[in-house]
Amino acid sequence: MGNFMPLIQNENMKIYRRPRTWVMTGILVLLVLTISILWLIFGERSSTSMWDVAFMESSILFLLVTIFTVVIAAGGVAEEFTSGTIKLLLIRPWSRSKILLSKYLSIIIFALMLAVVLFASTLLINWICFGINANPEVKATFVGLEGVNPFSYMLKYYGLTLISLVVTVTLAFMLSTIFRSSGLAIGFALFLLLGVNSFIGLIALLGYKWVDYLLFVHLNLTQYLDGNPMREGMTLGYSLGVLGVYYVLFIALTWYVFNKRDVAS
Amino acid sequence: MEQTIVKLHNVTKKIGKRTIIDRLTLDLPLGEVFGFLGPNGSGKTTTIRMMVGLMSLTDGEITIGGHSITKEYEKAIRHVGAIVENPEMYKYLSGYDNLIHYARMIPGITEHRVHEVVKLVGLEGRIRDKVKTYSLGMRQRLGVAQAILHKPQLLILDEPTNGLDPAGIRELRDYLRMLSKDEGIAVFVSSHLLSEMELMCDRVAIIQNGKLIDVRTIKGKDAVTDSSRVVIEVDQQKSAMEVLRAAGFVGEHVGTEAVAVEADKESTAAINASLVAAGIKVYGIRAQVKTLEDQFLEVTGGERIG
Repeated sequence: MGNFMPLIQNENMKIYRRPRTWVMTGILVLLVLTISILWLIFGERSSTSMWDVAFMESSILFLLVTIFTVVIAAGGVAEEFTSGTIKLLLIRPWSRSKILLSKYLSIIIFALMLAVVLFASTLLINWICFGINANPEVKATFVGLEGVNPFSYMLKYYGLTLISLVVTVTLAFMLSTIFRSSGLAIGFALFLLLGVNSFIGLIALLGYKWVDYLLFVHLNLTQYLDGNPMREGMTLGYSLGVLGVYYVLFIALTWYVFNKRDVAS
Repeated sequence: MEQTIVKLHNVTKKIGKRTIIDRLTLDLPLGEVFGFLGPNGSGKTTTIRMMVGLMSLTDGEITIGGHSITKEYEKAIRHVGAIVENPEMYKYLSGYDNLIHYARMIPGITEHRVHEVVKLVGLEGRIRDKVKTYSLGMRQRLGVAQAILHKPQLLILDEPTNGLDPAGIRELRDYLRMLSKDEGIAVFVSSHLLSEMELMCDRVAIIQNGKLIDVRTIKGKDAVTDSSRVVIEVDQQKSAMEVLRAAGFVGEHVGTEAVAVEADKESTAAINASLVAAGIKVYGIRAQVKTLEDQFLEVTGGERIG
């Protein structure tokens, strides 16, 4: 019924009117700035490529983007329940599915925004710090193969990490909907993300077949950028397929639970 | 003649093995303030939650404006405004932004209407402040504001007088009466505050342990019974009783210095005359109207949870 846009507008208002959102964005940009300035002070400007610094910062700070987005996603539905506002939100002429969709989309938009902020700020800040009047002899070293354009490499890197980010955010959103507690959802999502991801390398060494179907083996897609996947024989297409199945599962479960649930506080 | 807006038919809610609401059937007409009265834990809020689609029904059906709440939710809820339990708002947003939030969800609400509603609930001075700085009474007003924003045909208020000061309660009461009489909407109010319901409602449904026990009219002609209990304070109780008996009334001792009798207006005057004629001093005569509270306790047999 009616136009869907106002619902997204509402959810955006609930994200961006809160100081924490801007604190997170601020921290991200500030960290980019700090690392670049420290590099400028302690490293050598003449022999450093802006691309190397930008890529290094991106790979470290993208984890922060994921954490911040998980925090927002985990709060998305759970906070409406803990504050009791869910009741007034649901008694409008909108189906629960559409209300949930507006929440989900606004969180995905936030994730994209944060990634774009990181991408733009690393490029801009490092161009100012290292790029202006740079020695044309200095080449980016991170791209691996000679002659690869660092900008397109970075775009690919961001593209692949964004896919993982969307899956992770969907997982956090699902936990938020199921547990109705943002603390539990944040904790659980971050535990899976940081805890499991840190020893997934070990699990990947196991010879069992089921390891191939684990979400976390596939969550880091950038393993394909340099051509050394975690498990032998795994391809990008296969990983995307597994992620796709998980994604559909998460979405289906989230919507099912949200539609079925009795709202009582 | 009366137009029914809400129909509850055999509404049943079971959670596990417990039956929370048991075959509740109720019709709400437009233009009335309808009270929903029951002790704590009797199922008032559960019923309201089912009416606004927050809870599913185990059995039975609820229709609002002819649309089933389970099958045509978006159509049924379109003309409903409600506060369910406490009016919880987004604390980090201003009161105004909260209203804009709800206004966006229903097409056709202009900014002018938002301002009109703000003025109506008397929040002009603080509407730009964050809701976390509001008192409970102000939140309650904001809750009413969001409920009437889209000029609903049915207004459901769960314990609306919670946290309001006497002036606020009176204002709300007058406003609800105005809405039901002038705008012809149905107002459904739940409460366990009996005296409040008596002043506010046209009719009251009494619910206990999930069962509808009684529906009573509070105002209007059927509420006023011709005869009522009259208590007469006298100096000689014994002689007064004799006088009453001689006049054909069944008297009753009240304390040591009063008698009570069932009598209408005219016979009260006659009784008074005969008492005075018999040389009995009459200090006071008062009609004892049964309050809703008496009726309520009579019907529910006091409060029992469980």
